Amino acid sequence: MEQSSSQTKQRANILNQAHLEFSGGTLVLDRWTEKAIKKVFGDKLWTWDDRAETWRTIAIHYPEIRQILSINAFGTLDRVPQWQKVAWSEVKLPILRPEQLDAVSGWTQHRRGVVVMPTGTGKTEVALRIMADQGCSTLVVAPIRDLMYQWHRRILQGLGYDAGIIGDNIRNVKPVSVTTYDSACIHMPTFGNRFQLLIFDECHHLPGPIRGDAARMSIAPMRLGLTATLERSDGQHSQLEHLIGPIAYRLEINQVSGGSLAEYDVFRISVELNDRERVRYDTLAEQVSTYVYDRRQEEPNFNWQDLCAESLRSAESGAILRAFKEKQSIEDCAEEKLRVLEDLFRLHHGTPILIFAGSNMMARRVSLRFLLPCLLNHCGKAERLDYLDGLRDGIYPAIVANQVLDEGVDLPAVKIAVVIGGMASTRQAKQRLGRILRRRGNERAILYEVVARDTNEAERSRKRRKNDAYAGTRHRHL
Amino acid sequence: MLTRELAIATFDRGRLIPDRLTRKSHALYVELAQSMLHVYQNGVGKDRRSLHNTVRQLFSGSDCPPRRILAFCKLLDDASEYADGDKSKTAKLRRSVFRAAAKCHPLVTISDSLFEHDESEMKRRIAEEHGMDWPQLKDRLFEDLMEYHVLKSFEGFERAESLLARYNVAQAQVALFDAVELTVVATQDFKSILRYAKLARLMHRITKRSNRYFFEFDGPASLLQNTHRYGSAMAKFLPGLLSCQGWSMVAKIRASRFQGSLRLELNDECGLTSETIRADDFDSKVEESFCAKWGEQARNGWRLERETEILHRGQTAFFPDFVFVHEDGRRVLMEVIGFWTPEYLNHKSKVLKLFHDQPILLAVAESIKGKMGVDIGQPLIYYKTAIQIEQVLKALEGTNG
Repeated sequence: MEQSSSQTKQRANILNQAHLEFSGGTLVLDRWTEKAIKKVFGDKLWTWDDRAETWRTIAIHYPEIRQILSINAFGTLDRVPQWQKVAWSEVKLPILRPEQLDAVSGWTQHRRGVVVMPTGTGKTEVALRIMADQGCSTLVVAPIRDLMYQWHRRILQGLGYDAGIIGDNIRNVKPVSVTTYDSACIHMPTFGNRFQLLIFDECHHLPGPIRGDAARMSIAPMRLGLTATLERSDGQHSQLEHLIGPIAYRLEINQVSGGSLAEYDVFRISVELNDRERVRYDTLAEQVSTYVYDRRQEEPNFNWQDLCAESLRSAESGAILRAFKEKQSIEDCAEEKLRVLEDLFRLHHGTPILIFAGSNMMARRVSLRFLLPCLLNHCGKAERLDYLDGLRDGIYPAIVANQVLDEGVDLPAVKIAVVIGGMASTRQAKQRLGRILRRRGNERAILYEVVARDTNEAERSRKRRKNDAYAGTRHRHL
Repeated sequence: MLTRELAIATFDRGRLIPDRLTRKSHALYVELAQSMLHVYQNGVGKDRRSLHNTVRQLFSGSDCPPRRILAFCKLLDDASEYADGDKSKTAKLRRSVFRAAAKCHPLVTISDSLFEHDESEMKRRIAEEHGMDWPQLKDRLFEDLMEYHVLKSFEGFERAESLLARYNVAQAQVALFDAVELTVVATQDFKSILRYAKLARLMHRITKRSNRYFFEFDGPASLLQNTHRYGSAMAKFLPGLLSCQGWSMVAKIRASRFQGSLRLELNDECGLTSETIRADDFDSKVEESFCAKWGEQARNGWRLERETEILHRGQTAFFPDFVFVHEDGRRVLMEVIGFWTPEYLNHKSKVLKLFHDQPILLAVAESIKGKMGVDIGQPLIYYKTAIQIEQVLKALEGTNG
């Protein structure tokens, strides 16, 4: 009888106990008075949610709250984390180079922060080493599907773990999982309490009102960001300190050229538009500039965004926008570029070549012209691997890609790349350049940039040369 | 639903006005919509690209912005079923062709002693090896691409008007993708409104001012950060709301171009219609016949009102079936508990317990007498097949409403 009454009492106590819980990317804390909250946590951390009659805060604050509660728990039951220890069945990682070791130890100091290293200097190996050391529930977030699969493969090879996949219509959450930014920000409210370590690959993608939720809605105390190019032209990279942590290690591209990266040359080849293209291009250019000039007479600040906005309801602005797009497409798909490609194939016969096109349409055109594999979004996992491995093994002489290969996709040691379009931003340019800068003996790498003469494309190329990585571009006529 | 890239809207003094096609302002579109339906109805066997091209041609010469045409294509595609093309077969074909060509790379326009593989000659030969000519091979090489998928069937829209109606709703929905807050003011259909919001996984906050209810809909993180992450849930909720009556809504739409936000305002008379089925006013026949029997007039000073009251605690809302209002101002709620599953009864008991401070009269079916589990502490009457008015009146006098 006595025993049963003490059991009841105990149950009553638990029922009345305060709970800290994870709820849809937020933390909720019940049964705390306002006075107690303010005294223990201060003014800023918690917000009263009258909808659910509880205190609420965003999940990223969990480490701080956990620390405060560990001193002043007042019987609050922490039901938030669902972490697991992870034992790797077989760790097979390469021996790290000194700069990679510096990156690992730089990050391990606070177990939060961003590692900035140029493409091709082995960021993935740094991350895998950190995963091996920490042995905890880990989520790797990659920008695109391909990179997600690539991480899956690298984790399997290096740590002997068959990671869960969240994305590409698959949802298999395991203690160690890989995902994309899009899936991470959608699903973080459901699994933000399951990972102790987050790894953001190409982490300059993270900032943004919704994307940032991939970091904000997680409780993970350990966070690692990887990037070659931290800076964003919109300045949003300043958010990364809050979302991931401070810069833990930084290696500049000019510190490694000739070291772990190959020496490289950049050649620019101008092509003429053919007569038909030129006539059309000039007509369109005239049409666009006249319109913009006229508009600016009345509104000096009239800009591209205004034009886009107006094109939705004004047939005239719509026509101007279409003219602009057609103009771009003429540059992008200039017939002459195919001839230049043929020359380059003759010149570098026997050397694997990677071609970057500015659009899917141009990529397919190159593919159909030379019957070369073309790596686009629609390619399945197996086809993609066949092309990439085939290029490495000399089965395919060259492959053509669009944006897909912009970042991080592991490529065989290609020494020659040809860019025939695209590359508007500095970051895109740097990343593409990084793709071919793989150390292999003393061979120098070559990047050809094929641009249409007297067009916006040529103008963009001039601007890019101001970027450090492009300094020293040489012109070459073929 | 549409994607953000297909959104069309205008702005007027802080208001966002989604693109809207009406019979009055866009008379031509009824005919165009009819033609578009025709293209899809007769399009089985054609690929997506050619369907889209045909639709585009219908608009040639009109001043219809390209984005609107693309939006129509998207809505028509949403109502279609496409065959995805044999992905692995096409990938295999590509692989085989590219491997064959790799042996004679590069295919040159003019062959010479160093590079002897003439482009057109090699293409002819490779196509032949695959049992077709080059133009055929060229068409088949990328047939698994989205734009080459073939239309299998078209569920479609009944009439031209239904396509236009869908378009108008879709533009309002896509505008909500960037919504940070959504407030609905309602004078009726509360239950349906909340039910649709719950289905869309929105959280609510309810306040009552005179006879109007204010619902604020958002998500868990909304009060912590200004976020439009629940905008797509609000878009999902919209068709349900449109099927209700007696409401108006205003959404705060994030608009970085305007350094702040815009308002989207809609109401039950805005002309947008959706085909979502209206929720029933009554849970069962018992309520309906009781209501009819009671009638409009007051009995012993008590008048009967239907669904005018919401009880809410946190995220739990409870709609009593009836409200009795006495001339002297007393109010008593009545809830009918009929033939239900144990899970339902269990849930109902929990909800009722939350509202034990309210005068709620329970009318319980004889058949489940004693199955309600815990004592909810509310006055009870039992009924067999119909609720007796006399019994209700007696119980009303016994409550302290």
